[in-house]
Amino acid sequence: MSWGSSRVSTIATAEWRLWMRSKSAIAALLAVVLIIAATSVLTAVRFTEERQERAHQQEVAEETFLSQPARHPHRMVHYGHYVFRTPPPLAIIDPGVDSVTGQSIFLEGHRQNTAMFADTRASANVGGFQTLSPASVYKVLIPLLLIALGHGVFVREREARTLAPLLAQGVSGVTLYAGKVLALTALSAALLTPMLIMSLIGVASGEAASVSLAVVAAYGAYLLVWSALIVLMSAALRTRGVVLGCLVFVWLSWSLITPRLAVASASAAEPSPGKLETDYQLKADLRKLGDGHNAADPAFNALKANLLAEYDVDSVEELPINFRGAVAQASEADLTEVMNEYAERRMALEIRQSHHANGFGWLSPTLAVSAASRHLAGVDLETHHRFLREAEAVRFDFVQGLNKSHVEELSYADDIHRNQSAEASRRARISPENWSVLNEFRFQPATADERFGAAKAPISMLTVWLTTLIAVGVFASRRLKP
Amino acid sequence: MSGLGRELWFLWRDRAAKVWLLIGCAAAGLAVVFGLTEIAAQRDMIERLKAADEIERAVTTEGHREDWGSAAYYTFHLTYDPPEEFAFAALGLRDASPWKHRVRMLALEGQIHESDAANPDFALTGRFDFAFVAAMIAPLILIMLLHDLRSRERASGRYNLLSATSADVRMLWFSRAAWRVGALTFVLLVPLWIAGFMSGAGASKLFAASLALLAHLLFWWTVIAFVNSRTWTSTVNLTALIGLWLAFAVVAPAAIKASVDAAIGVPEGGDIMLTQREAVNDAWDLPQEATMTPFVERHPDLEPYAEVEGTFEWKWYYAFQQVGDQVAEPLSVAYREGRARRDALAGRLAWLSPPAKLERALQRMAGTDALAALQYEDEVRAFHADLRAFYYPPMFKGEAVTDAALAERPNFEIPAKGR
Repeated sequence: MSWGSSRVSTIATAEWRLWMRSKSAIAALLAVVLIIAATSVLTAVRFTEERQERAHQQEVAEETFLSQPARHPHRMVHYGHYVFRTPPPLAIIDPGVDSVTGQSIFLEGHRQNTAMFADTRASANVGGFQTLSPASVYKVLIPLLLIALGHGVFVREREARTLAPLLAQGVSGVTLYAGKVLALTALSAALLTPMLIMSLIGVASGEAASVSLAVVAAYGAYLLVWSALIVLMSAALRTRGVVLGCLVFVWLSWSLITPRLAVASASAAEPSPGKLETDYQLKADLRKLGDGHNAADPAFNALKANLLAEYDVDSVEELPINFRGAVAQASEADLTEVMNEYAERRMALEIRQSHHANGFGWLSPTLAVSAASRHLAGVDLETHHRFLREAEAVRFDFVQGLNKSHVEELSYADDIHRNQSAEASRRARISPENWSVLNEFRFQPATADERFGAAKAPISMLTVWLTTLIAVGVFASRRLKP
Repeated sequence: MSGLGRELWFLWRDRAAKVWLLIGCAAAGLAVVFGLTEIAAQRDMIERLKAADEIERAVTTEGHREDWGSAAYYTFHLTYDPPEEFAFAALGLRDASPWKHRVRMLALEGQIHESDAANPDFALTGRFDFAFVAAMIAPLILIMLLHDLRSRERASGRYNLLSATSADVRMLWFSRAAWRVGALTFVLLVPLWIAGFMSGAGASKLFAASLALLAHLLFWWTVIAFVNSRTWTSTVNLTALIGLWLAFAVVAPAAIKASVDAAIGVPEGGDIMLTQREAVNDAWDLPQEATMTPFVERHPDLEPYAEVEGTFEWKWYYAFQQVGDQVAEPLSVAYREGRARRDALAGRLAWLSPPAKLERALQRMAGTDALAALQYEDEVRAFHADLRAFYYPPMFKGEAVTDAALAERPNFEIPAKGR
C-alpha cells in the first residue's frame, strides 16, 4: 500500500510542479489569494465592529428605558424598547441573512413590529452579487481557479501523448486519478488556510470549536466535490476545449443559475401573502377581541363580570384593583395569542419556502454548501426567526409587567381622572422602580447541537455529491484509455 | 457561397456554439417568464390590498366617528407603488425596499421605515430576471462563443492557410465574431421583446434596453477581441477572460459598493426612530406650549385654534406627533439624501463595471432602482402631509365628523411617473 500511496503523491507533486512553473497559474493564484485576504479582513473588521456596536446599542436602550421618570404605566407600554440582533462570531466568514434583514426591532404594546433598517436598503446598489464575503469567494471564485488549474490534468497528458506510456508502465488508472485529485485537494487545503484562521478568530471570540471547524470542513468538502468533478471531466472527455466548456457550464449552472431558479421555484410553490396582507386579516380578528384602551368596550363585559364576582363587589370603582389595568392585561394576552399565531404561520411559510429552495442543493452543491454554511455559522433564516421570537418574549414580558403595575400600583380613581388637571395627571403616575420589569436581552447564537441539526440536510447533500463523484471517478479511471 | 453565408454556415455547424446560444435563449426566456409572473403577482396583491383596505376603512370609520381625533387614530391608509410595465425585465430593489405601506396620522418617522420584506433567503440569493441574465450570464456566454475563434484555427493548423487564402484577414475574423455577437444579441432580445409586447411596455423603452444590452455586449466583444489578439492558446484565453469577467462583474461591483458606503455616511436608521420616539414621549411631560409653538410655526393658519384646554386634547396629541417628526427631520433628511448621494455616486462609479452599469440602467428603465424607491417614499410622505392637511382644520376647530366631510378624505393615488 505504501508503494501505491507514494506513487499517488509523486503524481500529485508532478502536477504541483507544473502549476508552479506556469506564470498564468501563479498570477491567477495570487489574484485569488489577494481577494481572499481583502474580503476576509474587510468582513472581519466590519462584523467585529457591528458586534460591539449592537451590543452597545442594546445596553444603551436598556439604560434609557430604566432611567425614565415616573409615568403612567401605559405610557411606558407605548414608550417601548429596542432589541438588537448581535451577529454571531462566525459572521466574519459568512454574514448570511444579517445584511438583508433588519437588525433591530422596536417593541411596544399591542403591536409586533418588523425588524427595521436592513443594510441593503441604505447601501449603494450595483446589482449582481453586491458584496463579497469570504463565504461567497470560496463558493463562487475558488471553483473557477480550480477549473483553470485543474481542467488539464488528464487532457494535458493525452495531448502530450504521455498517458499511454504511463499506463503501460503499470501505473493504474485509479492511482493516476487519486494522484490528480490529491493535487487539487492539496491546493484546496492550502486555499482554505485563511478560512481556518478566520474560524479560529471565531473560536477566540467565543464560538464553539466544533461548529467553527465544521464550517471549514463543509467548504473543504465542497472544494473536494469540485476537484473530483474536474478530474473526472478531464479524464472522461477528449479535448481540452470540451472539458473547459463543460466545466464552465457546470459552474455557471451551479453557482449562478440554480440558486436563483430555486428562489423562483420556491416562491411559485409557496406563495407568501406578505405581512401587510395578513395584517388585514389579523386586524379583523383583533377587532373581535376589543380595544384594550377602552375599558367600556363590550368585549370586556365578561372580564368585568368575573372580576366583580371574584371580589364580590357591584361596580368596577369598588374593585381593590385597577380595572383599566386588568383590561389592558387581559387584552394584551388575547391579542398576543392571535398575533403569535399569525407570526408563527408566516415563519412556518418562510421555512417551507427555504426548505423548498434548499432542496435544489441536490442539483447544485454550491447551494448545499451555502445552506450548510449559513446554518453552521448561525446566520440562517431560523436564527432570524429565533430573534423575532425572543424579541416577542421580551416585548410580552415587559408590557405585561407594566400592565401588572397598572393593576396593582395605580388606583382606578386616579387613573380615570388623570386628564382633569395637571395635579391629577401627576397622581396617575407610578415610580420608576416599576420599570425594572424589563429583562436584559443579549441575543445569543444557537447551540452547536442545534446548528448541526439544522445543517444535517445540506451536509448530507454534500456527502452524497462527494461519494457519487468519487465513485464515478474511480469507476471511470479503471477503464482509463490513453 | 458568399462570405457571410459561409460564416453563418460555420456557426450553424459549430455544436458548442449552438448549445451556448440555446442556453442564452433559455435563460432569457425563463427570466422574462419569471419577471412577468412576479409582476402579475404584485399587481394582484395590490388589487387584493385595495379591496381589503376599503373594507377595513369602512369598518374603522364607522366605529370611530365620535371625533376627528379618534377617526384619525384608528384609520390606516394604504399606499402602494405598482410595478411599471417594463418592471418584468429588472425586478431590482422591489424585494428589499417596500412597495406597499400603510400609514396613519401618527408621527410618520415611526411608520415609514417599516418594511414588508420577502423571505430573507430570497433577498440574499437575488432574482433570476432579465437584467441578471443580460449583465452576468450573457458576457460569459459571449466569452464561450468567441474565446477560441482564432486559437482553435491555430491549434488545428488552419490559421496560416486561412490567413493566406482570405482576401481580408481582419474582415474574416471580424465577420465570424460579428455573427456570433449578433446571434447572441438576437436570442436574448427576442424573449425580451415578446414579453415587452405582452406586458405593454412601450417600444421606446424596449429599444433603449436593447441598445443598452448591445452596448454591453460590444464592450465584452472588445475585451475578448483584445485577449484573442494575443497569440495565446484557447485555455489561456479562456482563463484570462473569465478572470476579467470576475474582475468586471463580481469584484468591481463589490469594491464600488464598499467604497461608496464608506465614502458617504448615512445616519443610523435606528437613530431616526429613537429621536422621534424620545421627542413624542417627552412631549407628554412638557408644557403644552412647548409643543404648540413649534407646531403653529408650520401651520400658522391653525394658530387661532391652537389653545389646548385640560390635560388632554387630540389636537395636542397630533401636534406632538408632528413635532416628533420635526425633531427627527434633520436626521431623516440626511438619511434620505445620503441614500440619494450614494446612489448617484454608485451610478458614476458603475462605469468601471459595465455589468453593474447595465443592471442599473435596466432597473432605471423599469422603475425598480433606488431612485424609484426614494420617489415612492416621497409619495408616501406627500400623502401623509395631505392627511394632516385634511384632518387638522376640522379637528382644531372642533367640528363634528360628518359623512360629507369624510367623503373628502384623501385617498392615495399614484402620481403620474416621469421615469
